[in-house]
Amino acid sequence: MHELGVVIEVVRTVLDFAERNGVTRIETVVLQMGELSSMVPKYIEDCYPAAVYGTKMQDTTLRIEILPGNALCGACGKVFNLLRNAGGCPACGSEEWELLGGKEFMIKEIAAR
Amino acid sequence: MDAFKILEIKKSVYEGNDARAKSLRAELGRDKVFLLNLMSSPGSGKTTTILRTIEALEAEMRIGILEADIDSDVDARAVAKTGTRVIQLHSGGMCHLDAEMTRQGLAGLGTEGIDLVILENIGNLICTAEFDTGATKNAMILSVPEGDDKPLKYPVMFSMVDVLLVNKIDAMEFFDFDLEALRERVLRLNPKVRIIPISAKTGEGMDQWADWMRAAVRHCKES
Repeated sequence: MHELGVVIEVVRTVLDFAERNGVTRIETVVLQMGELSSMVPKYIEDCYPAAVYGTKMQDTTLRIEILPGNALCGACGKVFNLLRNAGGCPACGSEEWELLGGKEFMIKEIAAR
Repeated sequence: MDAFKILEIKKSVYEGNDARAKSLRAELGRDKVFLLNLMSSPGSGKTTTILRTIEALEAEMRIGILEADIDSDVDARAVAKTGTRVIQLHSGGMCHLDAEMTRQGLAGLGTEGIDLVILENIGNLICTAEFDTGATKNAMILSVPEGDDKPLKYPVMFSMVDVLLVNKIDAMEFFDFDLEALRERVLRLNPKVRIIPISAKTGEGMDQWADWMRAAVRHCKES
C-alpha cells in the first residue's frame, strides 16, 4: 500500500516526461533505490503492473538498481556500508559518521523512442 | 523503425509532490490561510484533540477541518456536530495524503474567510511523514499507551514535525511511559520540535497547545 502511492507518482512523472519530450513508446523504466530508503523493491515490482494498467506505460518493463547505504566515518575517514557494519565504522568502531547515500528513490532513465 | 534510446530523467520520485506542495504552501500564505497537518497512529486521539482545539479557538478564529480516512465518515460527523465547517476525504485505500489530494480537499471545503484549517491525516506513522501535503506546519500526536520508544521506530515522522503533542497523559500511571526518555529521543532527531504533553480528555496542557496555535495563526496573518 505504501509502495503503491509512490509507484503511482513514478508513473505520473514518467508520463509527464514522455509527453513533454515527444516520446511515443516507452520500453523500460529504470528506478534507483537506496538500501536505506523505506521502500521494498519486491513490493515496488509487485504493484507496478497495477499502477501502469490502462496507461501508455502498460507494456513497459521495470528495472530497479540498488544504491549502497554508505557513510563516511567522522573519526578515521573510512567509507563503509552502514547495513553490513551495523551502523559502526569497521576500522575504528566509531558511530559518528556522515551519511553519503542510500536514502535515494529516483527515476533514473527510460528506454524509449 | 527507430531504435530505442535511453532518456535520462534523474528525478527524485518525491520531486513532483514536493513541487506541488511548495506551490500550495505559497498560495495558502498569500491567502493568509494557516494549514496544520495533524498526523498520528490510529486511536491516538486526533479527533478528540481537534474537537478540544475547536472549543478553545472557535470564538477567535474561523476554523475548517479536513478529515482524511481510508473509509467511513465517523470523524467528520463528530466534527460537524460542533457546527464547524468540515469535509471528509476518502483516500481509497491509500495510506497517506499528498499535496494534490490536499488541494482538492481545500477546494471542496472552501477556504474563503477561513483562518485555520486542520487536516486530520490518515492514522499512520510511516507514509504520512514522507509526503509533503503543502501544510504551513506539521504536528503529530503520540499517545501514552503507544510507548516512549516510538521515535526509535518511526524516526522520519518525529524528525519532520514542528510540534509533538503527547496525548493521554492522564493515563500515565497505568503505562510504562518515560516522558523524559521520550523527550531525549525526540530532541536527538529534531532539536527544534516543540513538545507539549496534553490530555484531550481532561483538558490538561490544552492551554499551551491553544497558545501555540494562536501564535502560529497570527504569524501567518502578519507575514
